[in-house]
Amino acid sequence: MLEGLVSQESLSLNSMDMSVLERLKWVQQQQQQLQQVVYQSSNNSHELLQILQFHGSNNDDLLQSSFSPFQMLGSGFGPNYNIGFGPPHEAISRTSSCHMEPVDTIEVLLKTGEENRAIALKNKRNPEVKTRGEEKTEKKIKVEAETESSMKGKSNMRNTEASSDTSKETSKKASEIQKLDYIHVRARRGQATDRHSLAERARREKISKKMKYLQDIVPGCNKVTGKAGMLDEIINYVQCLQRQVEFLSMKLAVLNPELELAVEDVSVKQFQAYFTNVVASKQSIMVDVPLFPLDQQGSLDLSAINPNQTTSIEAPSASWETQSQSLYNTSSLGFQY
Amino acid sequence: MASADKLINTDVPEKDVFALHFLRSLSNLRTQNPLNSPDKSIDRVRKIKKAAYVSMARAAGGNSRLWSRALLRRAAKDDNKSVRFSRRKRKISSKRRRSNQRAPVVEEAAERLRNLVPGGGGMETSKLMEETAHYIKCLSMQVKVMQCLVDGLSQK
Repeated sequence: MLEGLVSQESLSLNSMDMSVLERLKWVQQQQQQLQQVVYQSSNNSHELLQILQFHGSNNDDLLQSSFSPFQMLGSGFGPNYNIGFGPPHEAISRTSSCHMEPVDTIEVLLKTGEENRAIALKNKRNPEVKTRGEEKTEKKIKVEAETESSMKGKSNMRNTEASSDTSKETSKKASEIQKLDYIHVRARRGQATDRHSLAERARREKISKKMKYLQDIVPGCNKVTGKAGMLDEIINYVQCLQRQVEFLSMKLAVLNPELELAVEDVSVKQFQAYFTNVVASKQSIMVDVPLFPLDQQGSLDLSAINPNQTTSIEAPSASWETQSQSLYNTSSLGFQY
Repeated sequence: MASADKLINTDVPEKDVFALHFLRSLSNLRTQNPLNSPDKSIDRVRKIKKAAYVSMARAAGGNSRLWSRALLRRAAKDDNKSVRFSRRKRKISSKRRRSNQRAPVVEEAAERLRNLVPGGGGMETSKLMEETAHYIKCLSMQVKVMQCLVDGLSQK
């Protein structure tokens, strides 16, 4: 029985998540069934038999009644769902079948923090139960597929599948939130819930989050909208910065030889004093610092260089960062930031 | 988003850290030069530029960042002339093969970014974004430091 359904599985899986009918059914079933599943972990076959029995009686009513609200929906969101789902509740509750999003996709969704725009129904689901319930639910999917394929709802499901595939980008979204204690699972209506596309979506969310962060850093990104424009801006900015570095290094190269002699009188003593003695690089840093006090106005105070000060700078400390800090604090070299 | 984002940590050290590193490398250059005294300005420029990048990479955290690591390796490679072209595209290509739905627009831009940011060849796009953010911050710091230096020297 089950083997023959394997071929149906893909169809059912694709169609299930799309149609309101199946989603509702599934959502209803979860509450009732998963608890059964947990506690009856040993009796797969029994449950399946039950499912089959229920199916035979109620499917007609179920499908017909559920499809009318489905057509009503159009591009509607929450309220439509609720209205439309009123009547079939009883019918659905009768059936013990459950349509499934495959459980592993839900695991994927767990990592994402997707936001839903329309909320259909919320259910809670135990993470530990999932692994056990996974096989059950998959088998139920297959069972469901077999029975439903025999119904006239089959063509409708196919239609919904086709339309939903194209409607991935439509605004028709409903989300189901399957959570138990700490797991948040959200799937958007009209989007595929197979594992790959969910992972894709999670990844894209991550990337867009990081791009927002980049947008704050790069000046002028706010005006451009859309990923492409922003990325172009960012690339442009990086290129600009690199060009600036190159340009400034050219400038330095020009300035340096000119001043080499001038600076050397002042600094040679320090350099020689330190470079001969220097074992640790920490001390050489202190040599450099008095040479070029930097401030935001950019005015170098070379006159502030006092060769005598070098002796006072030789203070050992743990890291050279703290050294520099202490240096700044104690010396009066006119550092300003 | 605040810069203190828990997901992404792109804290960059203060300006003085960059300044210290850069000046140190410059002084090293200066000590080397009297011996060799390269006449061509292009070599000097290149040396200074390389010193700038290397010092930036060190100031930004040495090996703690992918781009700084790649930068330092590249610099060391140039010195030693031992070519190890390790642009790990294998990882990316295997992932790309799986699905083509990966927002081709983003991926094109990511390619260009990878060419710019050192070490970008082996990174996934999301990781690339983080590295780019940090890289941009460090670059801007370095530019500020160098600007101060140039201004100071030119004023004198």
